[in-house]
This record gives sequence, C-alpha cells and structure tokens, in this order.
Amino acid sequence: MTFVSHQGRAEVIESDICIIGSGITAAVIAEKLAEERETRIVVVEAGDDTVPLADRAAHRGRFVAYGESPWGRDHIDGMTADGIQSRSMQVGGLAMHWGGVTPRFSPEDFRVKSLFGVGHDWPVTYEELDPFYDEAERRIGVAGEQGPPELDPRSGPFPMPPLPLTYNLDLLKRWTDSAGIAMWSQPSAKNSVAYGGRAVCCRNDTCAPVCPVGAKYSPDFTWNALRASRRVELVPRTLVRRLVVEDGSNRIARAEAVRRDRGGANGSRVDFRARTFVVAAGYAWSPHLLLLSRSERFPNGIANRSGMVGKYMTGHRNVFAFVKLPLRLYPGMNEQHSLVTKQFMRPAKLDRYVRHDLRVWESNVGRRPRLRGDDGAVLLGDELMADWRRRSAEGTARVRAYYDVIPDRESALTLNESAKNAYGDPQPKLTFRDSPESLALRAHTEESIKALFQRMARAGNGEILRSGVDDFQDHPAGGCRMGDDPASSVVDSHGRAHDHENLFVVGAPTSVSGGCANATLTFLAVALRQAAEIGREWGIGNRESKGTGNRDQ
Amino acid sequence: MAAATASPPRRPPNATILDALGDAVLPAELGADGVSRAVVEFQRWMDGYRPGAEANHGYGTGKIEHLPADPRPRWRSQLAALDADARRNGPSFSALPRDRRQALVRAALQNERGDALPNPLLARHVALALLAHFYDSPAATDLCYDAQIGRQQCRPLAAQRQQPVALGRKGR
Repeated sequence: MTFVSHQGRAEVIESDICIIGSGITAAVIAEKLAEERETRIVVVEAGDDTVPLADRAAHRGRFVAYGESPWGRDHIDGMTADGIQSRSMQVGGLAMHWGGVTPRFSPEDFRVKSLFGVGHDWPVTYEELDPFYDEAERRIGVAGEQGPPELDPRSGPFPMPPLPLTYNLDLLKRWTDSAGIAMWSQPSAKNSVAYGGRAVCCRNDTCAPVCPVGAKYSPDFTWNALRASRRVELVPRTLVRRLVVEDGSNRIARAEAVRRDRGGANGSRVDFRARTFVVAAGYAWSPHLLLLSRSERFPNGIANRSGMVGKYMTGHRNVFAFVKLPLRLYPGMNEQHSLVTKQFMRPAKLDRYVRHDLRVWESNVGRRPRLRGDDGAVLLGDELMADWRRRSAEGTARVRAYYDVIPDRESALTLNESAKNAYGDPQPKLTFRDSPESLALRAHTEESIKALFQRMARAGNGEILRSGVDDFQDHPAGGCRMGDDPASSVVDSHGRAHDHENLFVVGAPTSVSGGCANATLTFLAVALRQAAEIGREWGIGNRESKGTGNRDQ
Repeated sequence: MAAATASPPRRPPNATILDALGDAVLPAELGADGVSRAVVEFQRWMDGYRPGAEANHGYGTGKIEHLPADPRPRWRSQLAALDADARRNGPSFSALPRDRRQALVRAALQNERGDALPNPLLARHVALALLAHFYDSPAATDLCYDAQIGRQQCRPLAAQRQQPVALGRKGR
C-alpha cells in the first residue's frame, strides 16, 4: 500500500494521506476515507499499541481491587504539559479512557454571537453538521433517546435504542419532572444491543476508565478492523517532530519523525511524504506540532501567519451539587449512566447570557459507611452496618451543569522552552483564560445554576448536601480554530490550513468554543465534514460506506 | 473490592489473629461463614497487592502516580501488637471474648482522624483496612440495602429498570 525507501540515512514512507495521531478523530476519518476513496493512508502514532480487549477484564480487576492503571504503557516519559487534561498517548488516544458520553451540541452553541451577542460564531451551523452527527453516531455506535424535538433537534434516528433508565434514574426523572425539567436518557457510545461486532453493555460500571467487554466504543476497534483489512497502515511508537514546507511553495513536503523503538536512545529517523497531511493529534499536540515546525522561513511555526496557532484554547466549566432526596435509591445500579436535558442550552430569551447543560446521576455521597457515629464513637460490627442502613434510607442525586466559557485570545498553548522531551523538543504549556466578557458573566452564571439546584431540591422536598465549582475547563479544545477569515483563524471550516493547501487540522483543535456539553461527538461531526473535503482529491472507491458500526449489523 | 485472583490465599503466621479481628469488627449478621469469607477475601487481596504499580490516571490529570508502599509489614506488626496487648492481662487476642477484642480495636483506632472509611491501601491500621475492604465490596452494599444490586459486576442491562430484589435469607 505504501512505498518505503531509504534516502541517505532516513527511512522514507510515502502515501497519499498521512494522518498524524490515532485518537478517536483520526479513527473515524481514516475509516471514512478508506471506505470512500481509493487512496493510500498512513497513520502515525507516537505511543504504543493499547491493551487488547481480551486482557481488559483482568486489567479492570486490578483497577477495581487496587486502583492500578488498566492501560499499561499508555504514556511516554517526558511527553506531557502543564495544564494538560490527561496522559494518554497510545493507539486510540484519550478515548481509550473516555466515558463514552455523546450528546450533541445545540444549534445555539454555533451561533452565540448572532443570537446572544457574546463570544464568536462558528463558520458552520448545526444544520450543516447534522448529517455528520448522524454519521459519527453510526460509526462509533451511539445508544440514545430522542428528546423533545424542540429541545433535541435531529434529522435521523439514533443507530441504537437508548440505554434504559435504571430504577434509580426513573425515580430521579419523576423528581426532575416535578421541578419542570424535561430529562431523558443520556446518549452514549455504549451498546444497548449488539453492535459493530461488540457486546451489549452489562453494567460493569467502570466505563471510564475501562470497559472490560468492549460495549463502550474505543478507537482501537476501528484500527483493528482497518489494519486487518490492510486498508490503512498504522505506524505506532513513532513521534512526528515537525512538518517541513516545500521549498518554493507553501505545501507541506514531509513530516519528520523518529521511531522510538529503533536506533537506541535517540530513535531512528523516518520521514513521511504524502500529498495531504492531516493533523489529528487532539487539542494539545496538534497546535504543539504546528508551533514546533518553526523554521527560518516560518519562525512562528507553520499555518501561523495569523498568529492564531495555540490561541483561543477553550472548554467548559461545571457547577455541581449533591442533593439529598426522600427517595429509596440503590447506589451501584449503573452509576455512570445519567439523565440529561438541553432545556437550559436553548433559552428563548435572555436578559443576561447564561446557558448550560444539566445532568443527573444516582450517587452515594452522604450514604457511605463510616467509622464514627454521630457521637464520635468508633463503630464496629453490627453498629457500623446499622448506622449505614439508617443513613441509606434516603437517597442522593448528583447534579452537574457544564456552562460555556468564552475563551480569551490569550487562552493559549505555547512552547515551554524549559521543559523538553527526550529529543530536545520543547513541550507545550497550556493556560486557559476566560475572555473579559466571560469573566463578567461568571458569577451570574454560577449563581443562576446554584439557584436552579436549590429550586430542584425544594421541588423534591430535599436539600443540598454540598455544591461547588470545578475550576478547570473540561473537554478542552481549540488552538487551531476554524474560521472564514485567515486573519483570525488557522483553518477554514473544512479544516484546511489557510496557509498550506495540503495541510488539514481536524476535530477538537479546530473548535471555536467549548459549548456546554461533552464535546467528543461534536469533534467527530466536525472532523467527518472535514474528511469529506480531504477526500475530494481522490476518486470515489467501490467500498461500502457504512462505518464500523454498521458492518456487522 | 473484588478479588483480583481466585487462587486460595496462603495462611500467614498470624492468620488466627486476623480471623479473630474479623469476628470482632465485621457485622455478626454475616455469620461465621460470612466473616470467614470476608477475611479470606481480605487476605487474598493483600497477597495480590503490587506496591509501586502505576495508579490509574484517569481523565482530569496529567500526573502519573504510583500505588503506595507495601502496608503488609505494618499490618502484621499491628496484629502482633493486638495479641501482645491482650496477653498483658490474660489470654491471647483470639481467646478473648468479642467485646474485649472490640475494646482493644477501639483503643487502637481512637486516634484515627475523620469518620470516612479510607481506601484500604491507605489504612493506617489493619483493623481499618479490613473494615474498609469489606465495606467497599458489592456484598456489603447488597447487605446494607437488602437488595441484589451487584455493584460493579456484570449484570443484564435490561434488568436495571427494575427495583433490585431483596436478598432474602439465602442471599445473606
């Protein structure tokens, strides 16, 4: 499929499309391109292959028993960053650890400037993304419930029926109904029926960090299928260190990389040559690579004529509470499954901007066994169990709302010259920062959400046990934001770099804002739309175009 | 916590003291067999521990951390200390009546801060580790709620719609 040669001391691997990174975004676009186009695809991954599905039950056992990492060598010493969300540099990337939660953004997320006068609009609308949301749901396999259409617009059905509500969630739904909040089963990339050749969820309840039966989608399933069919060549343990621009043009000529498993401590040099390069290395390593690719001709890195590479890093913050309720709940039925609503993502009219999602879970907070009774005496034997039973007569709900943070331009990823990896490359440093208008809205937003939680507690004759704000920005994105104006963005809405016609950046880093819901499915929908443009240069193949999820249906 | 392996645990030299400790701190409603089973599970869990193994580093942190040093030597010393305390005024710890064993354990735990049961690996006293290990088990949750919840165990998805059924006498 690919052509391998040695030019001088460097190994050279040639292909039509070179994809850098093997996370969930890379997996779905590689699959789409391999199915729809006659093209040679090489995928380069810095990390190792991941733990095979057959070994995951045993690894999970040790995670549950001792808290051991279930993922083995899923990171590279020295490859990290201040402010990074997680360490997962392996085939499959961060989505080997994910919880499989897959809501869509709401239409408003893409038009906050037009509708509410804050932040920035995306150069793509929800309506344009809708078919790609459908495709993403089909490819990874999403079990979901259609919410009220006015809150949850979508043109197609979910590929799988929803995960059923647990007995606990059913009781909690009656509670939220009584508070005037319409909630439904959280869409999830977990099998409610056999799908994609993978098993049905059996409630092991360790979806994050590891599903032992493969009911939760993870990108390794797609890579296994693509590698087995020889439709894609995946090169693991190979770190791309820089992209090099062709002399006399703005086209990317090659990706210079090092094979970490050859050539001793310094690794072995390998160059990847391709007609098209796709950077699919997530929110941190994508802008990092562009900045690392600086040269005399491009002293600020490539694709960075606007100075926007690494800027506008984005995400969402959350407000949470634990609510004591006079309900007999049974913690442990399926703790990672939840109710969700978009009611507060789709406000009709606002005096002052505030938008957020809302989720509700069962919880055992305030219901755990304890060593001391109310009088401070140590409890042993039957006393301890009796105390636990008494405090478990009522239930606790966990509630959480993500609200969107409008990123500042200087919410940024930069090169940290004082922290270098084994090859001498500076590592990224991430500093998330609210824009001034977001800062001005913060107290109002958080107080509005806490007031909602209070109202919910009252509606259920309950009380707030505790509440708080997690200050970090979740589901980070940005750094290579998309836009129509080359002066204020890095790529266009199809992911093509304004400065380099054969360079694409896809998925999370191209996000304009973090929205107010888990963002992975949106990253995938954006990336699949971008893949359509990437593939345009090649002929349409004869292969079936159904996605991993449908192949075994 | 679920046991990581199913191999029978080896009986350490102080197994009798550990049995007596289990009888003192675990709920009597478990019955002798239930207490014995919980102690065996705790012993098996201790035997399977790998000090310094890489800890799970889930979403939300870039830090790589490792599991703590082996607590077993300290716990063995504490079992021996319980026995020595008992022998100061009479028979061995194992030979003491339950209420007197409980009194010795209460004295040993009196200075524990807070009321939460810790991660058993971080328990400073073996009695606390045994309690924490048992109360973190799916069986303990089922017993508390008198319901077959089966927390963190593979269960049919569709069954989650129904209220968990009561344990009944046999289930205990």
